[in-house]
Amino acid sequence: MEKKDLVIRIAGEGGEGVISTGDFIAAACARAGQEVYTFKTFPAEIKGGYAMYQVRTSLDPLFNQGDTFDILCAFNGEAYEVNRHRLVPGTAFVYDYPAGDFEPEIPDGVIAYPIPMSQTAKDMKSYRSKNMVALGALSALFNINEKTLIEVLIDKFKSKGPENLSFNLEAFHKGKELAAALGKKDLWRVADPVPAKDVLIISGNDAVGLGAILGGIRFYSAYPITPATEIAKFVAVHIPKVMGTLIQAEDEIASISQVLGASYAGKRAMTATSGPGLSLMGEMLGMASMSETPVLVVDVQRGGPGTGMPTKHEQSDLFLAIHGSHGDAPRIVMAVEDVGDCIHMTVEALNLAEHYQCPVILLSDGSLAFSTQTVPAPKPGAVKIVERKRWDGTGEYKRYQASPDGISPMADPGTPQGMHVATGLEHGPAGAPNHSPPNHEAMHRKRFGKLKTVVDFVAPTQVDGEGQADVGIIAWGSTIGVVREAVARLRADGIKVKGFYPKLMYPMPVAHYEAFAATCNKILVPEVNFQGQLSHFIRAETAIMPISMTICGGVPFTPIQIMNKVREIL
Amino acid sequence: MSIAAVKKTTLKPKDYKSDVSVVWCPGCGHYGILNAIYRALSEAGVDPSQLISISGIGCSSRSPYFINSYKMHTLHGRAGPVATGAQLARPDLAILVLGGDGDGFSIGGGHMPHMARKNVDMTYVLFDNGIYGLTKGQYSPTSRPEMKAYTTPYGGPEEPMNPLLYMLTYGATYVAQAFAGKPSVCAELIKGGLEHRGFSYINIYSQCPSFNKIDTIEFYRDLVEAVPKDHDVTDLGAAINLARQSSEGRAPMGLLYKADRPTLDQRMHAMVEGVNGRPDYDLNQIIDLNRP
Ligand SMILES: Cc1ncc(C[n+]2csc(CCOP(=O)(O)OP(=O)(O)O)c2C)c(N)n1
Repeated sequence: MEKKDLVIRIAGEGGEGVISTGDFIAAACARAGQEVYTFKTFPAEIKGGYAMYQVRTSLDPLFNQGDTFDILCAFNGEAYEVNRHRLVPGTAFVYDYPAGDFEPEIPDGVIAYPIPMSQTAKDMKSYRSKNMVALGALSALFNINEKTLIEVLIDKFKSKGPENLSFNLEAFHKGKELAAALGKKDLWRVADPVPAKDVLIISGNDAVGLGAILGGIRFYSAYPITPATEIAKFVAVHIPKVMGTLIQAEDEIASISQVLGASYAGKRAMTATSGPGLSLMGEMLGMASMSETPVLVVDVQRGGPGTGMPTKHEQSDLFLAIHGSHGDAPRIVMAVEDVGDCIHMTVEALNLAEHYQCPVILLSDGSLAFSTQTVPAPKPGAVKIVERKRWDGTGEYKRYQASPDGISPMADPGTPQGMHVATGLEHGPAGAPNHSPPNHEAMHRKRFGKLKTVVDFVAPTQVDGEGQADVGIIAWGSTIGVVREAVARLRADGIKVKGFYPKLMYPMPVAHYEAFAATCNKILVPEVNFQGQLSHFIRAETAIMPISMTICGGVPFTPIQIMNKVREIL
Repeated sequence: MSIAAVKKTTLKPKDYKSDVSVVWCPGCGHYGILNAIYRALSEAGVDPSQLISISGIGCSSRSPYFINSYKMHTLHGRAGPVATGAQLARPDLAILVLGGDGDGFSIGGGHMPHMARKNVDMTYVLFDNGIYGLTKGQYSPTSRPEMKAYTTPYGGPEEPMNPLLYMLTYGATYVAQAFAGKPSVCAELIKGGLEHRGFSYINIYSQCPSFNKIDTIEFYRDLVEAVPKDHDVTDLGAAINLARQSSEGRAPMGLLYKADRPTLDQRMHAMVEGVNGRPDYDLNQIIDLNRP
């Protein structure tokens, strides 16, 4: 029997080649026409520590990292210890034995494949080929397409010289032979290759970087922070090619300030950070609201508060993203579901900032940051770029002149007669300070009023399912992918369940929420934070009384957790 | 491309006045500095549409409102990084940053080293009145300990900093000092800063008759001493020695230091050239790097 959808988990110590092994498998599967969704955890330590890379692959679309693994490949004793409780009957277990640093107990029903990875590497006089031995064994045992895998290895190692390549291939073939000698004893098997699709395989962070370049940014200011730093790395490589500038600022206050300055000067500009950086940016985001200056901040959320859990996943910055500034400070907040969203919603977020002349915060999270996924390759010609409204140079220019949609044209510095002030002080139509109560109120109405049409500018929400349901699940961010699968599996079991997936978090598309809730008996809101932050907003803004379901262990939900909860509240 | 390249005009100083009326106290030194800015802009011939005046918050930070130019009135302490972003986005324009000692060296102090060492092409005029004016008289990083103020009723517990010494050691490429009571000296130094390609820092003593009762106009007049005629402005060591005198009751007035160093935008431009950057770069080349 062939199972089309399977999850391979590789675990070991950081630096042992866990990550590259996972990358090779993911790329080989993608080249063989499969969908791929990977998930990894890094050690918090600079060197060493437990590292895990999980590849889920299938011919069907994938939305999350899966319930658990079907195949475990353990490079060392710690990897076994961390994962042994998940070795259930039917799981295939590939491990370094003999001569590894551990001797596992094999639970009943678990199919064991001891492969002497360390010993083989040692015999070849190269510890670093251990992961190649494992890769060969995995390929042979689970039908990971050898042809595409070898192509990937050639591409990877060819720059390092022919000797390096042949050495790695030799280790790979040794692994294959060792596995073949053990014989196939389990049911797990990657589907046979189909014609490859026009896809990229890219991480969430790189995808944000790609979206930024496609979205036309010409200025990016960075300050390093886990798990967002790779976005800056990607942009730094490519932005000079389009004649743009990336600068590393002295802190996040400076980076958002630089973005505001560059945007005032007429350039599409952004930064990316994580919660601690977004906290520091609060005051300047208010300045952007007040001065109606387009800025984009991508927040790749991590465990908080304080320094929190830098390398761990959490969806706990929704309060901060929506309300993190003093005064009544309007902004637009969007949240991505998956790596595909990371590309096209970054473009969209830039368009929103430019069109509405306000701060836009795009929320990603730690589970997407490093998750590589197959996504349709974007077509530059099909990317829609919305420019800010610019003054046409006629008549007297008043920067904050009232207009029917609340949007007033901007003038790029250098434009004759367009001189104006961008100010954080409350101001009248021409920008001069004005602290009169009626003016303050009128200006608030302008700044908030212009956001009324955001709900039509983007696709604010998605509904998964039709008709009446017993349970409706509202999910945001990367939890959506988990819920999509849970909904499909529950439905297959005959349970009436629907999903509702907001991408626009603020302004909240209240009518969409309420219309959805009207078709469901109960509303469940699973999210990865302690307080139930979206549930809180739903209770505050709508007439819905959701059942909040929260976890905050630093890892995403699994479909089975959601399914169990739905069954419990039915 | 500092002001050497920007579009020029023959406007008079008064043409740089905006129609927003100035709101400072009578006798405030900031008036003298503002007039010097008008003169410097006129003498340098900067077209108002080619200039962005940028400030943070404080009495002095109100200045951009009074200047006929593009302008940003931002947040307390953040004028510097905002200006850095604007400069990198539009290196073809002139950038003028205006603010106080609290704005620049207290809340914004973390940004100063980086603008200086990165040699961001802008002119930073710091109105040094040794006090927080706008919040009505608290001690600032340049207040003398003798000063009794709002939060120092028994005198100050701290030593003041020396802005010139800081900026010289941080790597500013144009460092000068003047006094608001000498507007023509101020104007000349500001003009020099505008014409200098790189980070220009001009510290200008400015009396605050409302809140700083010890640093009076007379005090500053006695404090300042023209930079010796034979001072070599390319000699960093000599400039540092002069700057140190400010802490010893004799403050140099004039240009202390001037150096030629690539600016941040020039280095950024070199990067663009290094990768053959072009506005119509084929983005498919970037996309293709991410195929499996
Ligand atoms: C974040 C923040 N903290 C405090 C203030 C209050 N504040 C406004 S101006 C100022 C100090 C002004 O002193 P200085 O920069 O020396 O300029 P001056 O008014 O003396 O010209 C302070 C503390 C503020 N606006 N923002």
